[in-house]
Amino acid sequence: MEGAIFMQAVRENLRFRRVIPWLFLGGVVVLGFAMNWETFQPGADKESQYAAVSSIFVFHILALISAILTSTILNQEVENKTIVYLLTRPVPRWKLLFFRYLACSLVVAALASINAVFASAGVYHGLSGNSFLIKDIAALTVGAFAYGAFFMLIGLLFNRAMIVCLLFAFGWETAVPNMPGQMSYLSINTYLQAIAQHPSTGSNKGLAALSAALGENSISTSTGYITMIVFIVVLVVFGAGWFTHFEFLPREDAE
Amino acid sequence: MITATNVSRWYGQVIGVNDINCEIGPGITALLGMNGAGKTTLIRLITGQLRPTTGDLRVFGLEPFANPDVYRRMGYCPEIDNFYEHYTGRDFVRYLARLDGMSASVGNARTDEVIDMVGMSERANRKIAGYSKGMRQRIKLAQAMLHNPDLILLDEPLNGLDPVGRREFMDLLGGLADQGKAILVSSHILFEVEQMTRSLLLLHRGRLLATGDLGVIRSLIDTHPHQIRIETDEPRRAAALLAELPNIVSMKFDRSGDAVQLEVREPAAFYDALAAAVLEKGLTIRGFSSPDNNLESVFKYLVEA
Repeated sequence: MEGAIFMQAVRENLRFRRVIPWLFLGGVVVLGFAMNWETFQPGADKESQYAAVSSIFVFHILALISAILTSTILNQEVENKTIVYLLTRPVPRWKLLFFRYLACSLVVAALASINAVFASAGVYHGLSGNSFLIKDIAALTVGAFAYGAFFMLIGLLFNRAMIVCLLFAFGWETAVPNMPGQMSYLSINTYLQAIAQHPSTGSNKGLAALSAALGENSISTSTGYITMIVFIVVLVVFGAGWFTHFEFLPREDAE
Repeated sequence: MITATNVSRWYGQVIGVNDINCEIGPGITALLGMNGAGKTTLIRLITGQLRPTTGDLRVFGLEPFANPDVYRRMGYCPEIDNFYEHYTGRDFVRYLARLDGMSASVGNARTDEVIDMVGMSERANRKIAGYSKGMRQRIKLAQAMLHNPDLILLDEPLNGLDPVGRREFMDLLGGLADQGKAILVSSHILFEVEQMTRSLLLLHRGRLLATGDLGVIRSLIDTHPHQIRIETDEPRRAAALLAELPNIVSMKFDRSGDAVQLEVREPAAFYDALAAAVLEKGLTIRGFSSPDNNLESVFKYLVEA
């Protein structure tokens, strides 16, 4: 039963129409910028170039993919009214939510990792020689689960959650890490950058702002991991409890 | 199987169902009511999608809300016409079979079985997006029967089915009821449910107006004069002949001049006498209708009663 929920959600998220925009974004935008990044950052070494492309494109696209794909966990089912077929089956609601979340987050992590590979291939003109790629993939995987948990909870709490999620992905996650003081600790991206441990962008403030690296980030890798794991567990447990306890009806029917 | 005790459900300031008390056991029971009467709300309460605001609702002695133990024994065919449109009918049913806890092989076999039962074997491999309304109804019914449930709830299941499909569907339900299963069918068409069952629950504006045998409700209706409109080429001769028949309360000519409108008591006796008049006295009738033989009139009579 759990396997069926998981595999159906994976297949749903890997549908050609869903995946192709992200592959296109990675294959054209990320790869294109990565191959020509020296134009924007003359004289920078390969590591700095990759770090800039990864922070500016790959990590922001991660939030965007997650905001959009996470809607398939629940919101899309509620909007399409197909939720009724799932809620009247002998499956504990928490399992339904958890395995769909798991599947969705893994797909998001895979798509984001492909973007990281494109960025690496563009900068290094191949797949070897990039010591940051593995750390980035780890950070992107943690990020997929963290954003997934957060957006899933938003989806449980609000109607039209996609708007809130996109605002968070584009607005909050871009602005907050650049804020002074300890505000940057309120962003998921800050912790992901702590896990990735990208090199500094140097004195280029514009690049730092685009990379969401203007704010203070003295978080260690282990603190980044621990914080994200606690964050994910708390949100998923809370979300599962909420989904089990409350009614979920198609919007117009509930009004 | 289902016991409702003072069950009410509010949507904010709007009442969905109000103080429902009933018991539903094996066999086919029709849940009858006009649109907005609260049928779907009651079904959603029974299927555990909603919680009662007040009162106690039990299915198999258990609270149904989000309760897998209840869903193991319950099948539900919802009113909605929404599916995973990119799935084939077979894949859709197969997926729900897996959610019912069946292994892949058992799920596949059972999927084939129920798809065959609803007459969709040859069309089940097409995408649902291309299905007609009737085919969608059949697939919904198939998924409700997957796990051979003891209780099946069907919300407006005959919508979109052609006459042959309706007949097959009713026969199928009859067979399931004969196996001792409880089947609750909601509808807003009295004629439709009359062909399925004699056992009714009548909902009106959220309240349970009447429960029990259709005959009792029919006889209550029959205490009121029935309106009957008879279309004929010779209305004056028809009026003269009809005036001799029993139970006529009033009679008038239609404005069009080619019909007679009657009010009769005990319509069954009147219809027998009318048939005799047609046969014995050669009265020609072109059309025949009973404008108040519908659910709205039933509710009007019951409310007045």
